[in-house]
Amino acid sequence: MNAEADTGAGHGTWREALRTRLRHAWRPFRQASRVSRALIFIGIAVLVFYALVALVGPSLYRFGATQYRIEVAQGQYEPIPNLAPPSATHPMGTTRDGFDVLARVIGGAELALEVMLLAVSTAMLVGVTLGLLSGYHGGRIDRTLVTIMDAVYAFPPLVLAIIISFVLAAYIEPGIVSAAGAVGIVYIPQYFRVVRNQTLAVKQEPFVEAARAIGAKSPTILGRYVFFNVVHTVPVILTLNAADAILTLAALGFLGYGVQPPTPEWGYDISQAISDVAAGIWWTAFWPGVAIVTLVTGLTLVGEGLNDVINPLLRARGASGPKVPPDRRPRRRSEQETAGDTAVSVRGLRAGYRTPDGPLWAVDDVDFDIRPGESLGLVGESGCGKSSLGRALLQIMPPGGVTRGSVRIGGDELVGAGERRLRQRRGDDMSLIFQEPMTRLDPLMRVSDHFVEMIRTHHPKTSRKQARSMARDALAQMGVPPTRADNYPHEFSGGMRQRVMIALGIVLKPRLLVADEPTTSLDVIVESQILDILDRLRGEEGAGLLLITHNLGIVAETCDRVAVMYAGRIVEIGPVDRIFRDPKHPYTQALLGSTISLETTELRSIPGYPPSLLEPPRGCRFAARCPRAMTRCSEIDPRLTRVNPGQSAACLLYPGADGDEAIAAGDGASEEETPA
Amino acid sequence: MKRGSLSRYIVVRVLLSIPMVLILLTLVFVLLHAAPGDPVTATVGSRLPPEEVAARKEALGLNDPIHVQYVRFIGDALRGDFGDPVTDRRSVLQIVADTAPATLELVIAGMFVAVIVGIVVGALAGRMRDSPFDVGGRFFGILIYATPLFWTALLAQLLFSVHLGWLPSSGRIGGFYAPQDITGFYVIDSIVTGNWAALESTLRYLALPAITLGLLVGGVFVRLVRVNMLQSLRADYVEAARARGVRERHVVFRHAFKNALIPVVTIMGLQFALLIGNATLTETVFSWPGIARALVDFIGARDYAAVQGIVTFIALVVVVISLLIDIVNAFIDPRVRY
Repeated sequence: MNAEADTGAGHGTWREALRTRLRHAWRPFRQASRVSRALIFIGIAVLVFYALVALVGPSLYRFGATQYRIEVAQGQYEPIPNLAPPSATHPMGTTRDGFDVLARVIGGAELALEVMLLAVSTAMLVGVTLGLLSGYHGGRIDRTLVTIMDAVYAFPPLVLAIIISFVLAAYIEPGIVSAAGAVGIVYIPQYFRVVRNQTLAVKQEPFVEAARAIGAKSPTILGRYVFFNVVHTVPVILTLNAADAILTLAALGFLGYGVQPPTPEWGYDISQAISDVAAGIWWTAFWPGVAIVTLVTGLTLVGEGLNDVINPLLRARGASGPKVPPDRRPRRRSEQETAGDTAVSVRGLRAGYRTPDGPLWAVDDVDFDIRPGESLGLVGESGCGKSSLGRALLQIMPPGGVTRGSVRIGGDELVGAGERRLRQRRGDDMSLIFQEPMTRLDPLMRVSDHFVEMIRTHHPKTSRKQARSMARDALAQMGVPPTRADNYPHEFSGGMRQRVMIALGIVLKPRLLVADEPTTSLDVIVESQILDILDRLRGEEGAGLLLITHNLGIVAETCDRVAVMYAGRIVEIGPVDRIFRDPKHPYTQALLGSTISLETTELRSIPGYPPSLLEPPRGCRFAARCPRAMTRCSEIDPRLTRVNPGQSAACLLYPGADGDEAIAAGDGASEEETPA
Repeated sequence: MKRGSLSRYIVVRVLLSIPMVLILLTLVFVLLHAAPGDPVTATVGSRLPPEEVAARKEALGLNDPIHVQYVRFIGDALRGDFGDPVTDRRSVLQIVADTAPATLELVIAGMFVAVIVGIVVGALAGRMRDSPFDVGGRFFGILIYATPLFWTALLAQLLFSVHLGWLPSSGRIGGFYAPQDITGFYVIDSIVTGNWAALESTLRYLALPAITLGLLVGGVFVRLVRVNMLQSLRADYVEAARARGVRERHVVFRHAFKNALIPVVTIMGLQFALLIGNATLTETVFSWPGIARALVDFIGARDYAAVQGIVTFIALVVVVISLLIDIVNAFIDPRVRY
């Protein structure tokens, strides 16, 4: 207590930080799947068992590992019978030299664990130290160490271990230390690499540079951050190396380069049993082998389990949680109506994800239409469900995704349609352009082959040649020189790749084009070029465009109509000029207010956070943040209602939003003057 | 040559492997000269009079300063002169020529087994994630890895040769079948000469050693391919291909699977090294007359010169294999050809 008080506040905060980081490091374990935790648990149980065997086994078991005779009376000995099969006295039989096999196995466990611990911990210490040194100093030391480590790593590991044990034999008696040296040296490069790369990465972090600039002790800072960055990877390497160490030790022993006989060692014992095997005597070779297999399996299970826990990719899984029951349909009057000629007609659409706590509806009951040649902008905060809506239109939800309601393209219902029919429509009738163009093309495939594959999937009668010429035309239309059609994706810039993606999206002249933040990752000049292209396209091709974005400027520039989304709902929808001029929903008003206005030069943000979609509030979802909220806002769930010709808002400020007279977006749209 | 072209990449890669050769040779030299004493004393010192030992040391240049020995060693190795063993009349080069084809044949056949098992099981397990096949595949991967190679080999020998008598238990080929020596690779030699009896015998003798050796690395590949498959099945370009309506079969094979194989090719060099090392065990169990076994024997005889020569040769093989792997990789993955 006193000591803690003495160290003062500075130390306390550091300790607090450490605790936070450790809690952070522990979190993946609690989130881990049951399988991974079971793996780790079983593995640890095996390890504990072997540790006990090694610690107390020799003193409990009546035979010693190198005991070949029994004292029958004072000073009177009787030899243990050779090659006796398993019996009550010798549960695993005896060897050619009259040793008890179980005693050998117990002794082998002791040796294996000792060598393993020594080899792996030494390798880790040396590797980590050299890695820190190399990464911190850089320059010539770094280059030399890296080349040496690469050479050691590339060399056949077992041959290296044999040579090391050969060289070490000239200095020290063959024993635990020399065996650990021979076994462990192979692992040094692995720790070296991980730690060096982390040190290099951390060294370039601004905060470390800043700390150095003000003269802080940078090695301490570096050390601490490197520690927290490698604390995830090193345990995996450690356990897998430990498993490997047991195998290498046994291999060395088998070849006769392990510890001095007759020290009990599993590999050596198996090599002694080769001739027994041919004679049909199985127990001398069998039990040491079983011992190796179980111990190594135990260690590997721990390593694999840790890897599962730490690697988020292996951990995250899609379909978890209870199945979602089908919706009770039909839901509402408006749902059955379809307004004339539409590119897409959406009614009562819900899109969500299965979670252990039940479905999370990212899109909850949404209606709208897009007519051919029309563009609808979909705006909202991140997490409001925009992207899920875009995916739900094509019915390509990520694993665990669920959709309900109705999406009609060309009069055909997509929700609940068979995967085969959906597949035939994707890319042909409807296309999706993703946010991030850099990773959306197969890196191993020429750009033209992406086109050929898609075109010939949907139109098998098209020849390769025709498909390629279609590809060149589509690319040319997007401003990609047709000469580059045969280049690989990595040979294009981000803007060019997005042009390629759009060309892929339009080459088969779809009715509906969904563009999910197509310009977010691109610079401003490329952005305006891409937007021009999208604008031109719907005019030329007559496709309906759903442009998902968080950028209101893009909507103002590109779209005919705009839908504002909040917490899974469309809260306002209507013509762009009207909504921008006269937003009706308080959220739309706040959203428009939160963009910088040149006149007021003041940036307003909306206080508070969107509600949880797992348990959405009963009434209006915006009520908690709404400056104009009334008591009934938290009781009645508002419906979209017409507030202006063609413009609808879901807000109780306007008559009709509280019930039966609600008007669907489709109605609103059909009322508008037809575009020229 | 055009930037990004394959031929340019190959030239650059070949040039880059020269320093790697030098580093590995230096590593070998340092390791073997780190031990006190000298090879002559170590091997025959106790059996020959001191004058004779001194004369032999002088003849082998062991009294020269260490840097002179180093330069001579590197020069000799690069000329293909790996020295002369103390305990064998043949030169190291001759020993290499006699034994290396056997080991390389074994290792390549083992790699074949490993790749087939690893890719098939790994890809299927990754595709059918969390299915019984996946769990079984993972378990197989762990178990195969956890079983010491020599033990599997012994059990296989016991079962298939001793017990069932299906396959021969030791050696490289049946007594009278040896094909005419052209390359030293019996499979190639017997095919070239049309000696089908020799081919059959070769394959029968090769089966057990190659399978037991290959399964070891196969376990590594199962794990790797499975994880890569999981990764690439979730990749952005796979989702995009699905969004274009590409058939699921093509999505899996053309896009996900092909991309999942790239890391396998990348680590294949290291796996070859692993196989060469573990060939010492296979060759010991199956009395396979290869270079790995020869190395172990020379180490037992404390014959430094032979050990140094063979290890030098293995180092060169490692460099050449990693060079070949990188070139293959550049063929498959256009991004590698910088």
